[in-house]
Amino acid sequence: MQSSNPFFLWRHLNKLRWIVLSAVFAMLVLLPLLHVYQTFVAAHAYDLLAPSEKQLYDVMEAISAPFVGDPARDLDAIKGTTWSGTFWGLKVSDPLAPLGQMAASLSVYWPFILTALIPVLFTVVLGRFFCGWICPATLLYELNSNFAAWLRWAGLKTGNHIFDKRIKYGVLGLGLVGSALTGSVLVAAVYPPAIVGREIYYVLALSGFGAGAVFFLGTMLFDLLVARRGFCRYLCPGGALYSLLGRYRLLRIRRIVETCNDCAKCNVVCEFGLDPLRDGFGQECNNCTACMAVCPVDAMTFTLRFTDISAQGPGHQGRQFQRDQDSEQKEAA
Amino acid sequence: MERRSILQKSAAGLALLGVSALPFGLASFLTPERARAERNYLRPPGALKDDANFITACIGCGLCGEVCPPRCIKFHTRDGGTQVNTPYIDPTEKACILCDKCMDVCPTNALTKVARTKIDMGIARIDRTACFPWVDRGVCGACVTVCPLGKQGITFDFANIYRPVIKNGCVGCGLCVEVCPHPSKPIWIVDRSEAVAARRKG
Repeated sequence: MQSSNPFFLWRHLNKLRWIVLSAVFAMLVLLPLLHVYQTFVAAHAYDLLAPSEKQLYDVMEAISAPFVGDPARDLDAIKGTTWSGTFWGLKVSDPLAPLGQMAASLSVYWPFILTALIPVLFTVVLGRFFCGWICPATLLYELNSNFAAWLRWAGLKTGNHIFDKRIKYGVLGLGLVGSALTGSVLVAAVYPPAIVGREIYYVLALSGFGAGAVFFLGTMLFDLLVARRGFCRYLCPGGALYSLLGRYRLLRIRRIVETCNDCAKCNVVCEFGLDPLRDGFGQECNNCTACMAVCPVDAMTFTLRFTDISAQGPGHQGRQFQRDQDSEQKEAA
Repeated sequence: MERRSILQKSAAGLALLGVSALPFGLASFLTPERARAERNYLRPPGALKDDANFITACIGCGLCGEVCPPRCIKFHTRDGGTQVNTPYIDPTEKACILCDKCMDVCPTNALTKVARTKIDMGIARIDRTACFPWVDRGVCGACVTVCPLGKQGITFDFANIYRPVIKNGCVGCGLCVEVCPHPSKPIWIVDRSEAVAARRKG
């Protein structure tokens, strides 16, 4: 049986993913600067600015002038971070934000919960896509992973411990209970995408990094010294929520067993420590498509199902499959 | 062997707990004692009245600060314990101009939209033993000139037209505190209930 090859563009999705991640990160850097520019415009204070501020004003004016008529008003169209933001009046929040706020206040405020509707719907269909495609911390964490690979290449040891993936659900539960007990949205303080967006704003528009930056550096060191992508894999409360929401996601990655040659590059490249080689994706897969990009024989494709297919055995182009075939033929002879 | 692995695991768990408590620990550790006691920080306009409720409702997204035209909304970045990442306004540095943008943009009920005259960030109070016109050290009137609410918020005293007097319409935006030329800021914002109690006392 010859199965069809995956659509040829799928293996280039990983590049698109890096572009999207970089664009989101660039946006998080640009928005605070645009905000500072807006405050200068609102104050009609160009002549009073310091030379460096004038430079910022000119650059931001050059960037935004083609798109807006009145910067003080029109630049309000896009505001915020991936934690919570507005797009032309439409408010969108990370699903963890309403959940954490509900836990902290022990009450329900519907207008806020509805802001998480769009991300939740996307997650139900696409799974934990936020973690791989949008999260601003992912960009830094993946660069950190690459840095760790350089260190290994240079002969230094980096951490590669394996923990239980279910720890993060405990962190989510603990964070929500802690939010209820302290009466403060505790999960927001230990959730890297919220921290990254916030800290970039603090350092560019306000007085400097806050305490969250220290925590974030701690998670980077944890990834480097203890476990590869350890925070996302084992500890992230938002990742836990996205995993739960995406448990029965529709879009999944599937291994084409007929073309697979068991090279195991997918298992090596998988940032989340999953097992694509043995069809082990599960709810933690964030459809990042790194395994598709790395597969030398194009044996990874998308499929629309609510559950993973059960293990299909060794790939038909691999040695193990050949050996099994040979021994079967010998038995038959 | 069994006991050792359990010990290792619990040590790792404790270390993990320590790391997750780091932001709060650092925040409360780094706050100077003086700043905790004396600050005259205000919440943005439309904030939930009870500060504990405000802290539970605020998710620390920073949107209110990001739309604020005078950039007066700042955040507890390295201090404040459980209120870390919540917004505040320090009127001695930069005061609120009552533009309503933060109330519009807040995704939660931490800041809810109210009419301009119904905003309650506090109420101004004047120390009549320090304010220049009140101690006859010249004429000033900066606070009266700058008040965005005009006669509802602050007027001159009937007997001496250079002495400012706070009216009940004051919403506590703090612009008067920002412009006050006196180094010790004899005008500042207090909680409304506190002001009422003080007035009853005499």
